[in-house]
Amino acid sequence: MSLAAHRVTLQAGSRTLVDTLDLVLEPGEVLGILGPNGAGKSTLISMLAGLAVPACGQIMLDNQLLAALPPLTRAQHIGVLPQGDEGGFFGSVADFVALGHYPFGVAVLDLTPLLAAWELADLAHRPLDTLSGGERQRARLAQLAVQQPRIALLDEPLTHLDPAHQARLLAWARNDADAGHSVVLTLHDPNWAAGHCDHLLFLYGDGRWQLGTPAALLTPASLEALYGAGTAALWRKSDRAQPV
Amino acid sequence: MSSAAKLLLLGLTALLALALGLMAGALPADHELAMQILTELRGPRVAAAFACGGLLALAGALMQTLFRNPLAEPYLLGVSGGAGLLALLGMAAGLAWLWVSVLAFAGSLLALALAAALGGRLLARDHTPLLLAGVMLAAGFGSLIALVLSVAPIERLPGMLFFLMGDLAWTSNPFMLWAALLLATGTALGLSRRLDVLQLSPLKAASLGVAVAPTRWMLFTLAGACTALVVAQAGSIGFVGLMVPHALRKTGFSGHRVLLPACALAGGSLLVLADALARTVIAPRELPVGVLTALLGVPMMLWLLRKP
Repeated sequence: MSLAAHRVTLQAGSRTLVDTLDLVLEPGEVLGILGPNGAGKSTLISMLAGLAVPACGQIMLDNQLLAALPPLTRAQHIGVLPQGDEGGFFGSVADFVALGHYPFGVAVLDLTPLLAAWELADLAHRPLDTLSGGERQRARLAQLAVQQPRIALLDEPLTHLDPAHQARLLAWARNDADAGHSVVLTLHDPNWAAGHCDHLLFLYGDGRWQLGTPAALLTPASLEALYGAGTAALWRKSDRAQPV
Repeated sequence: MSSAAKLLLLGLTALLALALGLMAGALPADHELAMQILTELRGPRVAAAFACGGLLALAGALMQTLFRNPLAEPYLLGVSGGAGLLALLGMAAGLAWLWVSVLAFAGSLLALALAAALGGRLLARDHTPLLLAGVMLAAGFGSLIALVLSVAPIERLPGMLFFLMGDLAWTSNPFMLWAALLLATGTALGLSRRLDVLQLSPLKAASLGVAVAPTRWMLFTLAGACTALVVAQAGSIGFVGLMVPHALRKTGFSGHRVLLPACALAGGSLLVLADALARTVIAPRELPVGVLTALLGVPMMLWLLRKP
């Protein structure tokens, strides 16, 4: 199942964030979206998910217009991790995670393996609002995993996660892609992007965009073009293993 | 305890409350007269109290889900204010109770329509404009009510105050209220899975396949209709709609499939008991039942909030 954007333009008010984007997301692919704050990353995620309509252009799921799909059908294929906000949920972690199954109807789910995989087993019966930020993020990821979307769109999935869980998430994304699904994630760290993405999309926030492999795009010069002069040094100085 | 067991327990509590409601208060020694009081006065009133309490708690649960906020309650959007204003105007003009009731119903619908027209545009993404419009309307109606009270004929003030605090003495139609309770609970139950998802952010709910705006409008309409009906029959009985759903959520009724019928049962039981007290504590005089629900509700709520 492939998701394609044809000549898609995103606008915020009168400002053009992304101009005539062409993008094809194939099964087995992990695509990373990078760009400064306000460049349209979250907006693009919403558009690709079919939750908002672009100013121009079309989004196609295989050969069907995404906007024309019934919401439930769409939800059986495409899953989204929006940026955190579950202030209105009063139930337990297990109840929260199980909501990911909504598009597929009523079922008795065995959540045990999944909760264990996201290290939520001990928290399963706690009210969601008593969890820490990182634990809650894991619950949201587990909820998405219940949905088993063939196309997963994750908006800043690394937020609140400690490095070990960041690594676990990116490994999950890789495994999910290797199983024939597609994963899109927005992120800010070029090191993670280099190690875990097949392709990268740079959004400059002024209409310009750039699509390519990490090797081609993650150069100090292009990172400075994306984030501003002097920013490449932020990663060069790091004493981690450096793709940059 | 399983959900079914919890609901069964609440069901038994409801039966007990109804029995207590029927027994509360003096009865004449004459058997025939006593039966007449039970079947023609006390029975209908107890039945109406149960239905009103159930409807209010149900509306409260729906409002809390609509606004994703445990402080939401049936009167949040000015329903009681709109009803109160028109009802008080009717009372000031000396209209019969039936017309006051009709005016109260019209006032509720007016308040809801205004809230929807002023704040309902972006409901697919953001419920804040609706909330703000409603809260502003409630404040506006509140000041108009104060105005009516300050110029109304003094001998009509007690009746007006009873209406504003909520009072079951005038309820005339328990059958309609029960039909509404059953219909509303059934309709809400039909939406229950969707409502579970709607507790998530609008974007997440939409990504799971829920049509957010239509579902929110359904919630708004259903909660509004339940509340308007109760206000027209019994004035603005406070606290049931805020406390019952909140307390049930705190005690582990989280899925709407269980929460909604639990609200109907617990809200009904609470109001029957409160009304029994309102009828008896200073008998032969009566208190407005709204005073009792608040007196019972505030300490219970504070106690619940202490729990982590």
